[in-house]
Amino acid sequence: MAKEVVFAGFGGQGVLTAGYMFAEILLKVGFNLTYMPAYGAEMRGGAANCTVKFGDGKIGSPLMKDVNLLVAMNGPATDAFEKLVVPGGTMLVNSDIVDRKIFRSDITVVPIPFNTLAREEGNDRGANIVMLGAVVKYTGITDVETAADIMRGYFDEKGKSKYNDANTRTLHRGYES
Amino acid sequence: MAKRGIPVLKKPGGNFCPGCGHNIFHRLICEVIEELGYENNQMMCFAIGCACNHAAVFNGENTMGPHGRPASVATGVKRTNEEMLVTTYQGDGDAYVIGLQDTFNAAYRNERITQFVVNNTCFAMTGGQMGWTTLPGQKTATSQTGRDTDTTGAPLKFPELVRNDFNAAYAARGAVHNPKEIRKTKGYIRQALEAQIAGEGYSIVEAVSICPTNWHMSVDQSIDFLEKEVLGAFELGEIVKRRGE
Amino acid sequence: MSETVLMKGNEAVAEAALRAGLDFYAAYPITPQTEILEYLSKKMPELGRVCVQADSEITAINMIMGAAYTGKRVLTSSAGPGISLKQEGLSYCAANDLPVVYVDVQRGGNGLANMGSCQTEYKREVTGGGNGDYHAIILAPASVQETADMVSLAYELAEKYRNIVGIMTEATIGQLVEPVTFKEAVDPASLPVPSWAKTGKMISSSDEPIKPRIKDAKPKADRAKYFQMKEEVQMWESTNVDDADYVVFAFGAPSRVVYDALLILREEGQKIGMIRPQTLWPYPEKALEELKEDVKGLISLETNCTGQMLPDVALARDLHFKDRHVPVYSCAYIVLDRIPTVMQVVDDIKAIISGQTEEAY
Repeated sequence: MAKEVVFAGFGGQGVLTAGYMFAEILLKVGFNLTYMPAYGAEMRGGAANCTVKFGDGKIGSPLMKDVNLLVAMNGPATDAFEKLVVPGGTMLVNSDIVDRKIFRSDITVVPIPFNTLAREEGNDRGANIVMLGAVVKYTGITDVETAADIMRGYFDEKGKSKYNDANTRTLHRGYES
Repeated sequence: MAKRGIPVLKKPGGNFCPGCGHNIFHRLICEVIEELGYENNQMMCFAIGCACNHAAVFNGENTMGPHGRPASVATGVKRTNEEMLVTTYQGDGDAYVIGLQDTFNAAYRNERITQFVVNNTCFAMTGGQMGWTTLPGQKTATSQTGRDTDTTGAPLKFPELVRNDFNAAYAARGAVHNPKEIRKTKGYIRQALEAQIAGEGYSIVEAVSICPTNWHMSVDQSIDFLEKEVLGAFELGEIVKRRGE
Repeated sequence: MSETVLMKGNEAVAEAALRAGLDFYAAYPITPQTEILEYLSKKMPELGRVCVQADSEITAINMIMGAAYTGKRVLTSSAGPGISLKQEGLSYCAANDLPVVYVDVQRGGNGLANMGSCQTEYKREVTGGGNGDYHAIILAPASVQETADMVSLAYELAEKYRNIVGIMTEATIGQLVEPVTFKEAVDPASLPVPSWAKTGKMISSSDEPIKPRIKDAKPKADRAKYFQMKEEVQMWESTNVDDADYVVFAFGAPSRVVYDALLILREEGQKIGMIRPQTLWPYPEKALEELKEDVKGLISLETNCTGQMLPDVALARDLHFKDRHVPVYSCAYIVLDRIPTVMQVVDDIKAIISGQTEEAY
């Protein structure tokens, strides 16, 4: 069965980019995958999310269903998607924004200050890179160096090589979180 | 000057009513295409209506699209065949009423095509209904007490519209009811096609024609009506001159 | 083959068409297919080809008709409402046997319709759509890779049969990002000019007079062509049908939900299979030959409220099971803005198995 990762938060927090870069890494390390950006009603009100499903075989429904790993970047995303995490699954909560302290007891909850970690690396807009590092770690799809290589390739293609050093440090902070 | 024969692009015949200007206008276009040496490198996009009667007597390459759409069909041909001489041949109902969007936008884009439009102030093939070129007060099958411009609009002068707002290469209005106007109209056709060949932009030539059948007049009466009434509303001449001319 | 890249379904349409030798594209912006226009408006000028942002869907179809007359590979695309506007033009393309390819990225519902991922255009696309007496070949992809593959296939089929080919995707397929491997690019300049193309040359005066637009030969040839395509073009993918007691017919995005539902039902001991039509016209009637003789029922599953594919499943049933009645059930998802969830499909199939759902045909 395919594994399922959901990135959810406000528009502008970089959840769609984080999901897309994660998909790039999955492709390059040899997984089959499908990436579904939130579409339709969920898109209104500034909320954004995407679902990435991956595995070795055929992937059926691209829609969010049984979430193995959830990245919840704000309160509404935490409230909306916590219930979709499978028992034994993991939820990474943005502790910079989310105040809630009580969560489901049958899942692993990891508070990560995504924005703070990015800022500490001089990468104010790099919360999505922290997410990426953390998701690489918690899915275990590859090692952090391989992920960093693929990420740099992604930014090289976009003509944004000059941020590669900061982004690499930021990715490591996410991976170590 | 060589002996003037029937253009090779034209077969004899054609289903037109006695007195109709369509055959004269179309023959002039065929003559100019041949004089420019384009008879084997041209596409004429025919309209629906009286205009498409020419398809049966035309030896040149041609297409027929839906009613009103020749300017769009011609756009697709020209954009993918830049060296081809691409024209439309339409009536006023086709070009200025149902096809106004296509005609307007082709001119708006300054598409490198030439539109030929016969203006006989009505929808002729369907039996003489009011068109956007119908004169104020003119009686037609759908304006039986005379055209009321208050509720149906005033005669649409497309070449003038092109002059005022677009970047077109050439626009003219001719007539085909006497030798003098026929000669002039042929000159307009040549200017329009040369403008296209030189890549100057969009060109259009409108030919005002009598329609004795739908005007319910004799040919003589029709010519009289054309000179006294129609030409009062539709001024003849070059409306947009080529740059550098 | 090129390297495998990630791409959105809509962009894959555009890239695959470019690689198939697309010369001319014209379209009007409409959600959820605008990425096709955006992608081609950037790429085509770079390649010396032509992309026109038309003033409406109507002029767009007529522009590509003009280019198609001269033998060029052409494309237009839109969503449900825009394809409605193109029907007159498509009918003219059918009248002139033009190998035109179009893409319908469906949204949901009538009139303005909503931004949902639906299959509300099935009925129109498979019946020809415009006035007259013709069929377009309709291809229905379920993934980004299949979208790209079907674009190249569309040009092959269109030119082989000199027929319109429509690719019917959905909002979901258009927005999905998945790995895709494209075929090697074809340079349009290297393609032979078709013998029927209008090249601007005079029609030789020795030719017979131009044929009347309607005469017996054309309808007879059309009838033969449509039967030939029906015989030769049917495509489908089947999943676990050999031993299936019930077989679901589903195409496009919902078929992927059904795929997951079948896994769950199998684990519970229910033998359910799926036939996923890849061509919607011609409908893959031959797929029923794979069914076991004592199959208990067929299920037409689709995301529209009237059950537009249902009659085609029933007709295929009638053609195959001549000696006994096999019930056909309808699962039509009327939640207009999304495809059904896996559990919804599981529950609905269980309701059919347990006899709670009445047969439709």
